[in-house]
Amino acid sequence: MKRLLVLVAGFLMLCSFMVFAGGQDEEKSSGPREVKITLWARANEVEHMRADAAYDAVKLLNEELKNEGSNVTVVVEANYENPSWGDYKKKFTLAADAGEGPDIVLSGHEDIPVWANAEYIVPIADSVKDVKKLSPEFDDVIESLWTPCQWHGTVWAVPQDTEARPLFFSKTKLKELGWSDAQISDLPNKIKDGEFTLDDMIATAQKAIKAGVVEKGYGYWHRPRKGGDYLQYYFSYGGYLYDPAEDKLVVVKDALEKWYAFQRKCVTTGITPEKYIGTEWRVWHDTVSHNKALFWNGGIWQWADWAANYVKDEGGDKVLYKNVGYALQPTGIKGKNGGTLSHPLVYMMTSKSASGRAKADDEYVVRLLEKIATKEINTKHALSSTHLGILKSQINYEPYKSNKFLSDVTYMLDYNYYQPNHTMYGIYFDSVWNGMVAAETGEKTPKDAADQAVKQMKLELGDVLIVK
Amino acid sequence: MVNDKSNIIQPKLKKQNPAHSWLWFLLPTLFLVALFYVLPVIITFYISGTDMSTATGFKHWNWVGLKNYISIIKHPETPQHLWLTIKYVVVTLTFFNVGMALVVSLLTTHIPKKAGFFFRALWLLPRITPVVVYVMMWQFLAADSPYGVLNQIFFKPLGFKTEYWLLVKPFLFIVLVNGYIGASFGMILFTSAIESISKDMMNASLVDGSTLLQRIRYIILPSLRWPLLFVTTYQTLSLMTSFKEILVLTDGEFGTEVWSLWAYHKALNNYWGNFQWGFGMALSAFMVIIGLILGVIYMRFFKFNELVQEPKIEIL
Repeated sequence: MKRLLVLVAGFLMLCSFMVFAGGQDEEKSSGPREVKITLWARANEVEHMRADAAYDAVKLLNEELKNEGSNVTVVVEANYENPSWGDYKKKFTLAADAGEGPDIVLSGHEDIPVWANAEYIVPIADSVKDVKKLSPEFDDVIESLWTPCQWHGTVWAVPQDTEARPLFFSKTKLKELGWSDAQISDLPNKIKDGEFTLDDMIATAQKAIKAGVVEKGYGYWHRPRKGGDYLQYYFSYGGYLYDPAEDKLVVVKDALEKWYAFQRKCVTTGITPEKYIGTEWRVWHDTVSHNKALFWNGGIWQWADWAANYVKDEGGDKVLYKNVGYALQPTGIKGKNGGTLSHPLVYMMTSKSASGRAKADDEYVVRLLEKIATKEINTKHALSSTHLGILKSQINYEPYKSNKFLSDVTYMLDYNYYQPNHTMYGIYFDSVWNGMVAAETGEKTPKDAADQAVKQMKLELGDVLIVK
Repeated sequence: MVNDKSNIIQPKLKKQNPAHSWLWFLLPTLFLVALFYVLPVIITFYISGTDMSTATGFKHWNWVGLKNYISIIKHPETPQHLWLTIKYVVVTLTFFNVGMALVVSLLTTHIPKKAGFFFRALWLLPRITPVVVYVMMWQFLAADSPYGVLNQIFFKPLGFKTEYWLLVKPFLFIVLVNGYIGASFGMILFTSAIESISKDMMNASLVDGSTLLQRIRYIILPSLRWPLLFVTTYQTLSLMTSFKEILVLTDGEFGTEVWSLWAYHKALNNYWGNFQWGFGMALSAFMVIIGLILGVIYMRFFKFNELVQEPKIEIL
């Protein structure tokens, strides 16, 4: 009797194992089925469409599924929050490792190699050619934006938005300094063509301080906190970050030292305050949007923020158009084109181990991303947050086309560059950032700061670094 | 011979206590220490021997042996983080966690009891206020011009230059923020030690005509040797490893990245997101080793064995 009981129990266990081992990957029945897709995004209020676009997109997707006669209905749960990038990425990393990550995560493209290597995300397609074949929406994506979505030739993400980081200037202050309207309106062209350099900018700012047009320390305000924007000076002096043939990170020592010297010169010439890095963002936004600085380095997305949150009572973007001009980042080498750093945010599809989603449901995640990448939905985000669109069709889409600011800055994408998709890039960036802070604050000479940064990179990066 | 206890005391004690009974009393504590200290230390040392990072995940890491420790020694930032940590611990400990604690406890035990209690309660406020709220109050105090209590209430009305004081005097602020929390710990221990000094001894010193300073020097301070050892040791280790106040206040900017915050940033937070778990753990393990060495040095310096020897009154 006892033996019989053991046999029955064993048989039942075997049956239950077989039932459960069948896996979640298989379609469970032919009846109606609901697929839930979760999405995490980092966004502020004006960028809410980074998450909310999924709610618009799922309506299109369900309509399409219904027309196909599918028994599947997709339900979306999209959330956005606005912590620091470090905290946001930490939250995703730990959640993904615990198998509790979302199905789609929005982040900077530089996370692709790191998260792909850790198996937190899975590829969208094997190549750009393949991804474009997936849908007309993906085929509509601006060609160059697939570059930051790739790692080792595979497409791991879909672009969500992109931007430029212009040199903003006060038109009214330049006029006070004696510039003619023609000179002011020609400044973006001169910067684009490399005729107005970083040294010219410093000299102009010094003149403005001497003439009393702006106060000392208000000639040039670069970004006040850590961020990729600073790399633009490195590029301006001929630096670059990556060698794709070798798949290695590159540091050009001469450009690094010149970049650091530029930062220090801003302080020693008095155009930037002595104690500046670390200035609170609200003070920074308040200062630049209220026309107190002559030149400043910002991002196009800040335009919407200034209009909505800083100068709303004075007339919103009307007062900005009156006071503020924008151009590419000036070069450090006469005759070299101005440029700008773009940092596209991308949607990545997480792996089964990171999200617990059945492999069979990947199809619905990709199809949801296709619907998010439509001109109507993406333009909503572009307009509300002043980010550049990602689709070719947007350029002639009336609501997008009629936005003066976006139309004015779109040409900057012809002069842009990206940060590399390399697993060790975060460590590279920390090293050059620390050196830059030491140089600008005068803690080290630009040469010593550059030497230390290179030493630190060699130590932490080893043979994935090429020193030029 | 009273001092020759080896032959007299030990057999008596053994007779009074069942064998290994002490173990049962210590067991719950030993279990907690093993679970929450020894185990994490073992895991820390284990991970510190790997190249584990976000890029490797928890699946594709490799053993690298002592590579992370060699990197710490060779790292160009090591001297500055180490020096800042030493400076921060010594200054905070001297002026607040021990110094201010001693001053407050001496002052509040020499004024009427109720007033003393009131002032000590005030000093406890920073400790019982949630860290984020407490640090935010400091941030409001030091905020950039035109904001900030210091700027709006003092410097601007008096015609002085307004500044972002946190950026101008970052080291001072991390010491103040931590010091005001830390002082209350020593204050409580020192106060209770001072109040437990025999009244007869205090009165005798008054009869002998001692001044207040003489009483502090010759009666109170010698009685505080044990709490001083404990507060100095505990607060040194605590200051070395705690970083949450600095994290919330400056996030390590403006040259305030102490060693433990460096470890946190390397292991769990950096701008572009590739967290170096292995290297970060090596930095933490380094801190554990330094802490243990310092603990032993303190024990020797303060002659810990003498302080914990069995009371002579029971011998008699």
